[in-house]
Amino acid sequence: MAEQAIKDKTAITGIGWTAFTRKSGVRTLTLAAEASLKAISDAGLNVQDIDGVVSYFHKRPESKEVEELTKMLGIKQCNFQLYSDGGGGWNCAAVLSAAMMVHSGICKNVLVFKAQNRYSEGRVARTERARDVSGPDQFTMPFGQHHAAAHFGPHATAHMAKYGTSSLDFAHLAVTEREHAMVNKKAMMRKPLTIEEHQSSRWVIYPFRLFDCCQETDGAVALVVSSAERAKDMKHTPVYIMSGVGGVGKTSGWWETNGVKTAPKLYEGAGITPKDVSFAEIYDPFTFMCMTHLEDLLQVPKGEIGPWVRAGHNKLDGSLPVNTHGGLLSEGHIAGLNHFIEAVQQLRPEGVIDDLCEGPHSYDRAKCRQVKNPNIALLCGECVDSAILLRKA
Amino acid sequence: MNMEAYAKPLPQTDIDTQPFWDGCKRHELIAQQCKSCSEYRWPPQPFCPHCYSWDYAWNKLRETGKVTTFVVVHYAAVTAFQPDLPYVVAHIMIDGTNDHVEVCSNVIGCSWEEVRVGMAVRVVFDDVTTEATLPKFRPV
Repeated sequence: MAEQAIKDKTAITGIGWTAFTRKSGVRTLTLAAEASLKAISDAGLNVQDIDGVVSYFHKRPESKEVEELTKMLGIKQCNFQLYSDGGGGWNCAAVLSAAMMVHSGICKNVLVFKAQNRYSEGRVARTERARDVSGPDQFTMPFGQHHAAAHFGPHATAHMAKYGTSSLDFAHLAVTEREHAMVNKKAMMRKPLTIEEHQSSRWVIYPFRLFDCCQETDGAVALVVSSAERAKDMKHTPVYIMSGVGGVGKTSGWWETNGVKTAPKLYEGAGITPKDVSFAEIYDPFTFMCMTHLEDLLQVPKGEIGPWVRAGHNKLDGSLPVNTHGGLLSEGHIAGLNHFIEAVQQLRPEGVIDDLCEGPHSYDRAKCRQVKNPNIALLCGECVDSAILLRKA
Repeated sequence: MNMEAYAKPLPQTDIDTQPFWDGCKRHELIAQQCKSCSEYRWPPQPFCPHCYSWDYAWNKLRETGKVTTFVVVHYAAVTAFQPDLPYVVAHIMIDGTNDHVEVCSNVIGCSWEEVRVGMAVRVVFDDVTTEATLPKFRPV
């Protein structure tokens, strides 16, 4: 595969988000509409400029959300809509799909959104879902595998056995992401976290302690994808979509994810090497998943992620800043689409607008989370079932 | 055990998986073996994912395997599991299947601190209700 035909042909032109809370008090669709209207406005567009809509769900949809939002917003002509079952693995595939819809000429401006009342409603729904024990679940749920930590924990246990990775390594990642969230006004968790607090926190599902687990969030984010040509004359400086991949494959063992298959295609598609990436917003429902994703995306040699995070390479001034907003662990969990809000902010000329800096970026890490000289951002979903590269204009 | 009180989820079987669960009721661990290339497969499906032959037989597997990885559940997302905490959910590669049959189950009969990747285990059948039997595993 040579460079992808979509390379630099489309751009993210608008972003929007709601507050991230534990009780939104409104319907999921209301959250979706709020974030969408903000993203459309941020792009300098009107609702009727949107002619494509994309979202995704985990396992089973709660409703015909894409169709319902299209009607709720009063979009008169939608030329293509897409609602995928890819779950948290599909965040980058959602944006990549929008890019393909635009580059094909089917749509002009595509709205991508993810909305959920995951804390206030999702926790109840999880117990309800455990009553459906069909398909692959008939081989797991009767044995008590119900929680995402039980689903992904096996990856961590296998990596620990094979490479000596430890809970203390996980602690370093959790603490660094918390430091980033502390300078993020919209982050749910902004209290300081120490290595000791992580190490003394209770087991939720071994090998994951409480502070290895992400937030559960009520909230929504949305973004707009437009053609690069159109984007030149829009309100904000565009953030270009370089390349993307999406799809699941088979790995050689629990200690690695689908990223080992997708990563080479991703970099080749953009005509770059892994070293050209300036910062990364990596799917992190549990500390370890972020760590294996970084290895599988060829940013860190396999098995060496423990020492890498202990050395602080993932900090804001490290060799590869990771989850500069605090990630799913500390900012909030909007199925990884919130990682795009962060990447776009970092790559716009004005930079991050919701840290604690007043005026120009100070790069004082007590206030400022703007990365220095950001050029190319790497993003991925769960198990790197999708990934994308974005670049600054 | 009070059979009426069993509150945990039970397998909802389908046309492809029913023979496996029937085997468990007979206290036999079985899987489909391809009649063309002789490879086992898991989970059950009507054709071979290795050679795409639709010709197969349900054959008895060895009763032993190795723990490939595991978690220890300390928080019950489903309340019926509360009394079992902490309990082990493991993935077990069944011996003699050319690494094609890896099942998810519980390791029982030892403390959770003793469970290791690579641990040898043997199947035991737990008749949880009059209708359902679950294959679980004990250290050899």
